[in-house]
Amino acid sequence: MYAHDYTDGGNDMPLEVLLVEDSPGDVRLTQEAFRAANLSVHLHVANDGVEAMAFLRREGVHANAPRPDLTLLDLNMPRMDGREVLAQIKKDDRLKTIPIAILTTSESEADVAKSYELHANCYLCKPVQLAAFESLVKSVNDFWLTKARLPQAQ
Amino acid sequence: MKTTSRLNRKVQLESYRGLLEAAPDAMVVVNVGGDIVLLNVQAEKQFGYRRDELVGQKVKNIIPEGFAERIIADGTRSAAEALAQQIGTGIELIGRRKDGSEFPIEIMLSPLESTEGILVTAAIRDISTRKGAEIHLAQMEGRYRGLLEAAPDAMVVVNVAGEIVLLNVQAEKQFGYRRDELVGQKVKNIIPEGFAERIIADGTRSAAEALAQQIGAGIELIGRRKDGSEFPIEIMLSPLESPEGILVTAAIRDISTRKGAETHLAQMEGRYRGLLEAAPDAMVVVNVGGEIVLLNVQAEKKFGYSRHELVGQQVKNIIPEGFAERIIADGTRSAAEALAQQIGTGIELIGRRKDGSEFPIEIMLSPLESPEGILVTAAIRDISTRKGAEIHLAQMEGRYRGLLEAAPDAMVVVNVAGEIVLLNVRAEKEFGYRRDELVGQQVKNIIPEGFAERIISDGTRSAEDALAQQIGTGIELIGRRKDGSEFPIEIMLSPLESADGILVTAAIRNISVRKLAEANLVRKLDELYRSNEELGQFAYIASHDLQEPLRMVASYTQLLSRKYKGKLDTEADEYIAFAVDGANRMQRLIQDLLAFSRVGTKGKDLVDTSSEAALLQALQNLRGAITESGAQVTHDPMPAVLADEMQLTQLFQNIIGNAIKYQKPGIPQVHISAARNGGDKWMFSVKDNGLGIDPQYFDKIFGMFQRLHKREEFAGTGIGLAICKKIAERHGCSILVESTLGQGSTFRFALAGSERKSYIPADTPTEEAVCL
Amino acid sequence: MPLEVLLVEDSGGDVRLTQEAFHAVNPAVRLHVANDGIEALTFLRHEGVFVDVPRPDLTLLDLNMPRMDGREVLALIKNDASLKTIPVVILTTSDADGDIAKSYQLHANCYLRTPVQLNAFESLVKSINDFWLTKATLPQIQ
Repeated sequence: MYAHDYTDGGNDMPLEVLLVEDSPGDVRLTQEAFRAANLSVHLHVANDGVEAMAFLRREGVHANAPRPDLTLLDLNMPRMDGREVLAQIKKDDRLKTIPIAILTTSESEADVAKSYELHANCYLCKPVQLAAFESLVKSVNDFWLTKARLPQAQ
Repeated sequence: MKTTSRLNRKVQLESYRGLLEAAPDAMVVVNVGGDIVLLNVQAEKQFGYRRDELVGQKVKNIIPEGFAERIIADGTRSAAEALAQQIGTGIELIGRRKDGSEFPIEIMLSPLESTEGILVTAAIRDISTRKGAEIHLAQMEGRYRGLLEAAPDAMVVVNVAGEIVLLNVQAEKQFGYRRDELVGQKVKNIIPEGFAERIIADGTRSAAEALAQQIGAGIELIGRRKDGSEFPIEIMLSPLESPEGILVTAAIRDISTRKGAETHLAQMEGRYRGLLEAAPDAMVVVNVGGEIVLLNVQAEKKFGYSRHELVGQQVKNIIPEGFAERIIADGTRSAAEALAQQIGTGIELIGRRKDGSEFPIEIMLSPLESPEGILVTAAIRDISTRKGAEIHLAQMEGRYRGLLEAAPDAMVVVNVAGEIVLLNVRAEKEFGYRRDELVGQQVKNIIPEGFAERIISDGTRSAEDALAQQIGTGIELIGRRKDGSEFPIEIMLSPLESADGILVTAAIRNISVRKLAEANLVRKLDELYRSNEELGQFAYIASHDLQEPLRMVASYTQLLSRKYKGKLDTEADEYIAFAVDGANRMQRLIQDLLAFSRVGTKGKDLVDTSSEAALLQALQNLRGAITESGAQVTHDPMPAVLADEMQLTQLFQNIIGNAIKYQKPGIPQVHISAARNGGDKWMFSVKDNGLGIDPQYFDKIFGMFQRLHKREEFAGTGIGLAICKKIAERHGCSILVESTLGQGSTFRFALAGSERKSYIPADTPTEEAVCL
Repeated sequence: MPLEVLLVEDSGGDVRLTQEAFHAVNPAVRLHVANDGIEALTFLRHEGVFVDVPRPDLTLLDLNMPRMDGREVLALIKNDASLKTIPVVILTTSDADGDIAKSYQLHANCYLRTPVQLNAFESLVKSINDFWLTKATLPQIQ
């Protein structure tokens, strides 16, 4: 349920999704939503940008972390925010092909434009209503984790 | 027979001896054998021998060459033949003295029949000096030739017969001949007239006489080149004595350019005279002595004289004072100095006519160099009328001054140099100066910036140009009082032509009070703008930051509801239901608040917009609700307006959405139309057949979060119309409603039409404007 | 606001299928078509006959096309400051790992393999519409 559980579970290829989010409430909601959408999803969590980068680079405690098939990235976080994480990932030749979906409450056009400029794969505004949020996660799962072709782990 | 002749001859020889001794030249008699048989004392002296040392000697001893041979030759010919050959002709030979030294001689031979046979008498002349002279002459000639060649002018030496004996390279060049083509030719060939005659004339006079007559005087003649072309020349003659007789050296100078200049000058003189006559003003030319040398017909008329009455007269006669003095003074100064002093400046004087009457004149002087010395040309203008005008102007000025004093505003009159020439009492008061403290001062002292520059620039433009540019427009500047304090002013300029040039009148108004009011207004607007911004930001931040915890509450209560529905008791279910409901409503309120704040903060400029497009988009957005309610929405053609398209869409959407929502049973009908409203505005109307609104609530419904119905009856936060009102206000108008309870409502708002020609509905009734 | 989608596809048959699928799923979608890379770029740059075309909200890009193929187009778009933010979804028959990896490296927003079955294709288009045109937040038209 939480991060750090890297054992390969079961016959289905688990889908590794990294959620970078500082609000525990939102983390829980997302987990619940993914559970409802797709049980094959392993949702890993990093609480801020620093932890996210450590996970992606497999540093420290994250030495055995799997490469995410998809990363959901919040923008406003302490220590290192999502914008910086996005920039770093997309500049890193080993990490740049990981699909990044920005998942944030910010509706600011500037944030949207900047994210796409930094090559975020897409931008999602967290809906205020629970039902809408669950629907969103479902849509993300449907498009990215069942239909889209993702780059193989390197 | 022989005896007699011999006696005769012998006697002849004796008497011949006497002749011989008497001869001035050295005489030597030589026989056919070349022996000297007789000589005289001169010969003894010439050759340095005693008689007995020479008699019987070969003549070769004293005349080594050239003589003996002739003698012997002579011997073969008869005396008569020799006579014919030699007599009279001097033969130049060399004589040798006893001491061996040689000297040039000239011998003249004559035969002599004697008893001893033919003898030859040689008169021997010592020609040392002559030879020396000849050598000297040859040297002189050489030197002379050298001088001739070196001379800058063409030099031609001509003999009394008019033939060219010598010329230099300059002459070759001038006349285009080669030396050998000219030497020996008549000088007439190169100087057809005027020279040869003089020369020949010279020949009849002595060198001294010729010298006296011609020397130094340049004679102007015409020279002719080899190619036939002629050119003016000036020749200077000097005589030259030579063995061949008197020669005349002529230095020939080509004076084409000088002649050209002279012709030009004559032309100019003619032209000048022409100009003088044609001049509109009276023109009088005066010399340094103050005498009139030239005048034109205008001058004759002006002063009532005929020309000959004035030429040679003192200019004082027509201009008693002020002119002659200047002229004479001018004469002592160089033309350049006079020029510097007088040129261009009109000098006012009095002119006196022949009849004695006087009149004011203005003269303009210009100097003129002439062969006779400096002359002064005076253009004389009668300024009687102008003088009269000046008096008139002075009167006007007085009147103007009166007006100035009476003006309510401070008035300051400034010249093109930026100096204050006139001001009124109000100006004194405004600026805290006394009049005399300001007159003559730079206007910069009271208006530091922005005025003087305009004035000086005004000076370069004509009064009309300045008028066009500055008149009527108030210019805001800063004025400075005597005490240094500054205050805002508004000046209005008007140009004024005066005798001293263009002046600018400035009406100066103290606008301190107005500026203060403006500043207040600006400050208030600033505050308003800022508070608006803050409000917008506040609304945004508030709604954004409030959303976060709200989302948690709403989401988790829902999750709670899902998870534990039916697992807890009914009360718990109700509690949860209320909590969820509350949270959801809170969320919607915040959304709406955000939407409301965005009308101001995210509003775009009003641009040319198709209201029809905005309406159709609104209908598209409402299509779900329209389909669901089965509403019939119709509209008239819509005009082009100045609007923010998204907000206009929102406006239509909210009103029409309401119209569909607040329905009584039946088919909702909504009609949207637009009509011209007062000039360039369009009045939009959205009419529905819904529930209608109680008039007491007409204002209330536009308030924020104001609802007339229970939540159970109709959903909604009550922000829709508040948003509409805000949008309408942003577009420069208000929104109002007409309604009858139970029958329906009509919402109206007005928008400004845009320039673009758009469809105007036929029979458009004009409706009352709802806004200013 | 109509949704503008640019389909870059050389196969006329596939174009038609896509048009039909989008129409069924979301009639508000305006589908523009470019038949090869060069036409696509001309469209995106508003050049030639495409002076007045709208900027696409989403671009569906085939890889294998004549004249200029999708890889080149992708590279050009993602390197152009004025075009790089346009979401580009690779929609191609190729399933090669190399193509997939290369596309993501060139910053394709995502990669989709065209299903052979019609149902699956329609379902894919539905998913595209649902995710990209309904749920995702797209960059504003500049």
